Amino acid sequence: MTETKSPATPPADATPTTATRGLIGLPLPAARALLLLGGIATAASAFLAWTWTSDFPGDLTVYGYPGGLQWLTFVAGVLTALFALASYGVRGLRWLLPARNNAPLVLTALGGFGVTWFTAIEIAAKLGGLANWEPGTYIAVVASLIPVIGAFALPQEAGESTKETLKAYIAKPEAIPAPQPIAPWIQRLIITIVAALGLGVFAYGIDTQYGEIFIGFLIVLVFAVWALHTAGLLDRFSAMVADNRSFTLAMGFLAAIAFPLTQTDDHYANIGVNILIFGTVALGLNIVVGLAGLLDLGYVAFLGVGAYTAALVSGSEFSRFSGVQFPFWAAALAGAAASLIFGVLIGAPTLRLRGDYLAIVTLGFGEIFRLAVNNMDGVSGPDITNGPNGIPSIPDLKLFGFNFGEAHDLGGFTIGRFANYYLLMVLVMALVVTVYRRAADSRIGRSWIAIREDETAATAMGINGFRVKLIAFALGASLAGLAGTVSAHVTYNVVPNPYQFAGAAPPNSAFLLAAVVLGGMGTVSGPILGAALLYLLPEKLVFLQDKSLLAFGIALILLMRFRPEGIIANRRRQLEFHETGQLDVPETTTLSDEPAVTKAGA
Amino acid sequence: MRFGGLTAVRSVDFTVNSGEIVGLIGPNGAGKTTFFNCLTGLYVPTEGTVSYQGTVLPPKPHLVTKAGIARTFQNIRLFANMTVLENVLVGRHTRTREGLWSALLRGPGFKKAEKASEARAMELLEFIGLAHKRDHLARNLPYGEQRKLEIARALASEPGLLLLDEPTAGMNPQETRATEELVFAIRDMGIAVLVIEHDMRFIFNLCDRVAVLVQGEKLVEGTSEVVQADDRVIAAYLGEPFEGDPAQNEAKAAGTTKGEAQ
Amino acid sequence: MHTLPQQLANGLLLGSMYGLIAIGYTMVYGIVQLINFAHGEIFMTGAFGALTVYVYILPDGTSMWAAVPLMLIGGGIVSVLVAVGAERFAYRPLRQAPRLAPLITAIGLSLTLQELVRNFYPGADKSRAFPSLDATHSIGSVDITDADIFLVCAAIVCMSSLAWFVRKSRTGRAMQATAQDPDTAQLMGIDTNRIIVVAFAIGGFFAAVAALSYGLKYGNIDYRMGFLMGLKAFTAAVMGGIGNIYGAMLGGVVLGIAETLASAYISNIPGMQQLGGQSWANVWAFVLLILVLLFRPQGLLGERVADRA
Repeated sequence: MTETKSPATPPADATPTTATRGLIGLPLPAARALLLLGGIATAASAFLAWTWTSDFPGDLTVYGYPGGLQWLTFVAGVLTALFALASYGVRGLRWLLPARNNAPLVLTALGGFGVTWFTAIEIAAKLGGLANWEPGTYIAVVASLIPVIGAFALPQEAGESTKETLKAYIAKPEAIPAPQPIAPWIQRLIITIVAALGLGVFAYGIDTQYGEIFIGFLIVLVFAVWALHTAGLLDRFSAMVADNRSFTLAMGFLAAIAFPLTQTDDHYANIGVNILIFGTVALGLNIVVGLAGLLDLGYVAFLGVGAYTAALVSGSEFSRFSGVQFPFWAAALAGAAASLIFGVLIGAPTLRLRGDYLAIVTLGFGEIFRLAVNNMDGVSGPDITNGPNGIPSIPDLKLFGFNFGEAHDLGGFTIGRFANYYLLMVLVMALVVTVYRRAADSRIGRSWIAIREDETAATAMGINGFRVKLIAFALGASLAGLAGTVSAHVTYNVVPNPYQFAGAAPPNSAFLLAAVVLGGMGTVSGPILGAALLYLLPEKLVFLQDKSLLAFGIALILLMRFRPEGIIANRRRQLEFHETGQLDVPETTTLSDEPAVTKAGA
Repeated sequence: MRFGGLTAVRSVDFTVNSGEIVGLIGPNGAGKTTFFNCLTGLYVPTEGTVSYQGTVLPPKPHLVTKAGIARTFQNIRLFANMTVLENVLVGRHTRTREGLWSALLRGPGFKKAEKASEARAMELLEFIGLAHKRDHLARNLPYGEQRKLEIARALASEPGLLLLDEPTAGMNPQETRATEELVFAIRDMGIAVLVIEHDMRFIFNLCDRVAVLVQGEKLVEGTSEVVQADDRVIAAYLGEPFEGDPAQNEAKAAGTTKGEAQ
Repeated sequence: MHTLPQQLANGLLLGSMYGLIAIGYTMVYGIVQLINFAHGEIFMTGAFGALTVYVYILPDGTSMWAAVPLMLIGGGIVSVLVAVGAERFAYRPLRQAPRLAPLITAIGLSLTLQELVRNFYPGADKSRAFPSLDATHSIGSVDITDADIFLVCAAIVCMSSLAWFVRKSRTGRAMQATAQDPDTAQLMGIDTNRIIVVAFAIGGFFAAVAALSYGLKYGNIDYRMGFLMGLKAFTAAVMGGIGNIYGAMLGGVVLGIAETLASAYISNIPGMQQLGGQSWANVWAFVLLILVLLFRPQGLLGERVADRA
């Protein structure tokens, strides 16, 4: 919701007119002072003890050093203070507030308030009562409230109602002043710093040991990113990325590789590898859904086909072909090829018809795949997949004499088993990202988008709709199959159960689709971000586990209603979902909507 | 072409020669657009064939375009969320070969082909005067420019015959004049043009030959003078202006009544 | 080993159940070109609605003669409310959105309904016992239960009243008009929103009838029952020609019979001994869908579109 009618904030030095006053009646200098001092006080309060017992996760009992959630309060306080300084126009910090708007101040103040109060309330709730608060807690609670008061005392053009005014407070201005030209090496330096920061934030998120800290982490992260967005800094950064695309990709790749080095426990590398598998598959699905506009509801089955193929030729003694052991490259190709064949078998009859048929047929296929591998145990079906027991004891991969099952030392760092696979998955994901980007920016990618936009016009432009859709579908299937071959080795075994339509944990088709939709259809980073979020949420918030699917179903409905383009909006998609635009296209007749079915009757 | 019990277009024999601008006029619902849709393979004709340069065309839109017949739509159907340049590049689809593999491998051949496609597309954008808007989204263009872009997109497929479905609908006189010039320029490129239009002045200024379609049948065909002088045409337009109307609606509802063909 | 007539009867019964659910898919699709993926869950909530009436409202020992109509009302109310609510709050705001949006909403809705029942209906995470009508009657070599009789009667009554409704009633004719051309229908003064709600409501009620029959026949219900039933009912709707109400019933019956025969006899075919039995029935139903889409994508009754509701 970034469009509002009154985004204009007067420049800092202009005297606020009567129309633009704060919700809380305070003069501008006072408001700013509250923000700055409150921010500093919030950060400082993190150095106090907030409770007397270390029973509360993260040990908040120490004076002079922040612990656990206090770190997050500290970060939020510092951010608030920085933005407050920037609003004073302090040299060297002006770039933080290019549009000189209120929203970043309001949002960082709210972030600090949110995480501090969340912590304080959790302390009281967990340990039983306010008695567990130390004086430091009271100070923190008050200190974090101060910037919020300051923020809402900032002058702001009043909307028609309080709700409108509040919206205006957190609105992103329509026009962000163009940045001054930045030397290329500085741009690259900034990208490097951001990549390192990103890695740090990601590693912190994965390493959080308690659900409470993870929630606090999410609060600060969401408000901080939102603040940067409304400040216009994200737009500037993406412009910078657009100018240095290959460099950014290289840095992103490096940051991804560096992740296991930041980890001391292979368990977190395991989470990392699962996120990568999930993200890779989501990206493959994004080709099908985001680019070509085909709704595939049984996508996880292709992952399963790849995994089972790899397991069968892995040399596991429980495999039907236990004598056969393919080298990894051959197993990967076999997995991708098997998925490709299934993709074509499913796609060929259905892609000639309206898209809805594809959705239901793939849904059916996903379910049938699970039933079939469940049945093929030699009793209720042919003996191929070992039924519900699956194929266990899949040996670790060996590539060029490198055993993935063993820990290796690398310049003082220990790279454990999962870290090995993590690095392999980074390569696979890099491959998929390359495939996605190259395919999207080519003749075939343009025809996918054209088909998605208007199939009739696309065919009238000479595009063989069936053919290009089949290519998209088959490509998506084989990428999933490829990811499946690695996942079979990572998890030691393959069983039918994860390959279902909806389940409590990823990957399943519903989660995959949600990762794509939540992150942002038609973008590269969206599905990866969506996958990371959807994997971490149930993993970290154990108490949610039972209700996670419920939360997830409701989230899907709300998402489609209020932000159908996802977190990272593709420029095209955003327009498509929100505007009716000037084209008088919507006047489509039923006939032109379903030419295939009509003609099939001929 | 029949829809259920209704015959929308019947026995229309029609030839367009190269380097010629032919107009197709008729009251609302005479079956002009249905005729276009049959020509371009969007509808499968119940009887009869479409041939182009001596070969019979299969009723598949993409094959028709490949053979060299391109079209625009009565209600603009651009790829609204693609850029102006991308729209024209999609039009190049049939004239380029690069498949998925070459897109993934990005060999020299791919780069050359992409460059050539882009150069050709830019030429066409220059030609219609939209080169400066190459990176705008098609949906953000004003109406007249959307019409032009649709023509450029059609031209990108290097057609020998261009079908324009009401290219000046909703335009003011200046824009109409500009479109006229554009169509002449297209003809001068050696492309045959078949235009559906309601604007009589536009048609008679433009066309070497005009055919009148009434209630799905060809009434007259000839030069502007011949057609203008024909009593039946005047009767069709003025005498019974709404006679043919239901046909158009029926054609629209055809999705629910389903085309029937042998 | 059952006899062939028994297998045919079983297939016919199963098929009528598919058909009743398929009506919901087909009517909604015929009018708004939307596949209501959550329809399987509307069926499921109907079953729980009926169970609620039996377990929590009716006194113990109520005769089934009295209980069944009341359960039908209870299940019907729940299903209709869920269906209409879904239309009003989830689908209607998206009517102008790209077609991916309502499909994704439908998936979300389907998960939400399943999880609501699983989390909040007592004992619904495992299967719950449903009062069954299993008194068996023999007609020739065919055994049928009271539940089967209820199912057949209900299907016949539902189908004939629907046929009458669509052809003769004012709303039914308005429905046909809306299906033909929603814009024109609206211009002619038809309240299309109301028509759409009616379509959802009828679909919901028929799903509840099917759900009650399901419970009475199998004696237990669970929160996942809607998934496969919904999938197969949709298959039936497609097979019959989506948008065509008679097609939905025909498709259901064909699918039911094909599935029953396949699981009974396919293991007799040399080379396919291991592919028979109940565990493969769903696979065969799905293969049938693919075959229909390949060879007759408009469905069995696809050409009678003019008559669709």
